[in-house]
Amino acid sequence: MKDSLILAGIEKRYGDAVALQATDLEIKAGEFVTLLGPSGSGKTTILMSIAGFVPPSAGRILLDGQDVTGLPPERRNFGVVFQGYALFPHLTVNDNVGFPLRARGIRGADAQRKIDAVLDMAQLRAFARRLPRQLSGGQQQRVALARALVFEPELLLLDEPLSALDRALRKDFQAEFKAIHRQVGTTFIYVTHDQEEALTMSDRIVILDRGRILQSAPPSELYERPATEFVARFLGKSNFLRGRITRVADGMADLQCPALTSRVSVGRQDALAIGANAVAALRPEKVKLQRSEAPADGCSATGQVADITYLGSVIDVTLALADGTTLAATIPAGALALSEGETLVASWAPDAAILVEPDVERGA
Amino acid sequence: MQRFSFIHVLAWATACFLILPILVVIPISVTPERYLSLPTNSMSFGHYANLVGDARWSKSILDSLIVASGATVLSTALGTAFAVGAWRLGVPLARRLRLLMLAPIIVPPIVHAIAFYRAWAVVGLLDSYLGLVLIHAMKGLPFVVLTVAASLANLDHRLEQAARSLGATPGQAMRWVVLPQVATGVVSGAAFAFITSWDETIVALFVTSRRVVTLPRRIWEGLADNIDPAIAALGTLMVLITVAAVVINTLRTQRRTA
Repeated sequence: MKDSLILAGIEKRYGDAVALQATDLEIKAGEFVTLLGPSGSGKTTILMSIAGFVPPSAGRILLDGQDVTGLPPERRNFGVVFQGYALFPHLTVNDNVGFPLRARGIRGADAQRKIDAVLDMAQLRAFARRLPRQLSGGQQQRVALARALVFEPELLLLDEPLSALDRALRKDFQAEFKAIHRQVGTTFIYVTHDQEEALTMSDRIVILDRGRILQSAPPSELYERPATEFVARFLGKSNFLRGRITRVADGMADLQCPALTSRVSVGRQDALAIGANAVAALRPEKVKLQRSEAPADGCSATGQVADITYLGSVIDVTLALADGTTLAATIPAGALALSEGETLVASWAPDAAILVEPDVERGA
Repeated sequence: MQRFSFIHVLAWATACFLILPILVVIPISVTPERYLSLPTNSMSFGHYANLVGDARWSKSILDSLIVASGATVLSTALGTAFAVGAWRLGVPLARRLRLLMLAPIIVPPIVHAIAFYRAWAVVGLLDSYLGLVLIHAMKGLPFVVLTVAASLANLDHRLEQAARSLGATPGQAMRWVVLPQVATGVVSGAAFAFITSWDETIVALFVTSRRVVTLPRRIWEGLADNIDPAIAALGTLMVLITVAAVVINTLRTQRRTA
């Protein structure tokens, strides 16, 4: 594939501390990939290795089959949008955007035509003569984006570009990034710790924690079929059913928990042993509540309503189960008149719960 | 109507203490006498004419300009290079080296004077422009390092990274992005370095004799030999030049912020 980016076993250590364990990742040309994880997960380390600012301790970075691991940043031809934008304070918007062209020896009318085109795309034409400090946060963000795109880079790397903006503006920019990605067709590699940004914009999300990739998949697959407990918790909300495997057949298993027994989808777990401890993730919106008897397939639990949170279109309900654990359910508002303390039956489809790899202890 | 409180008296006293010694050179400079004195019946600008006419004074002014300019260029270049390098590395060693860079301020001038007198005698730099330029550059270096480091302290490292990612070589990133950001620090460092050299007396007295006679040395000798009011005339000129520089600078800053 043309211009695909391959990270082959890249790794970063600072003395004894491992910032990034040996990591393999392939990114296709034109893809919008988001690296998602909490701080210290290694997502920025990956981005800065690709940009050329952090030399990996081991491994190689290949662009279109060419090894770029040792190339200095200025010879990689990758656009970078930095956290906080890193606009040059002494240069006007026009000259900030023109900087990459100046560095490439493109001057005069040729350069100005390219600058104008990208300023138009970013709706910045009217601000060309301003200095960065005379712009709002959103406008500065647009300048940073225009500057990183004006030289038609092979990749665009974005390091938490929206973290300084307020919520409404962030939403606008998510739509704008998607539109610009469609328009220019460049590969976007986007780093964030915000799950909503990741879900709305990406073709694919790569979830990282403590210096390693946990799962890499399109947003819907990641949400529906999380591989690990961490992924299920980090992306959306989830119930976790903890118990012992009593039966395995045809991609389904029976999980016996203290307060309930459920059929669960095996998901990506392999080599399940009867009697082994296991954890299944169950999204709250897949849980149905009713006053009547439990359905026959046995995926149900009975509990008392412990908490009701009204969220407009939906209601979050917390059920207290017999063993002292809780089960969260999200149901459409108005579907059921509830009162705290009443006993309800929660049920879900057999394939709604999915086995996930349990979290390892922090620091292990 | 303003009330005279103790604070007001103290403030005015302090202001007088700072300004009067500077102003006293002005009347002395127009004395008609040939020794340092306040003019009594008449005024004379003869001592100003002496400054221009006497070849010794004009040579000293030129010598001071040569030495101060050379020292300023050298210490500004080296000090800026060091401060930027330390900023880029950001390692503990760089911070420790920065302390070492302040040594020329800490070491008493007389110690420098004796040390360089012995050393320059060995390498043949006594009474040479180069010899004095090197020492003055060393003495100016801490000021440049301090002012440039101060203006780098708030500079985001990502600016340099951004420049590199946009295609600038390390040299271009330095010239086009980092240096414009620290220009104020470099200029004030250079000004301090210039003044340091322009004022420096003690080391100059030790390591120069006949060929190089800087202004402070000339004044010193003028005071030691015969108390020549031309010194007061020179002092007046220097005060006027300084006041003019401050006024111009203030007006420029006001215009920029307005």
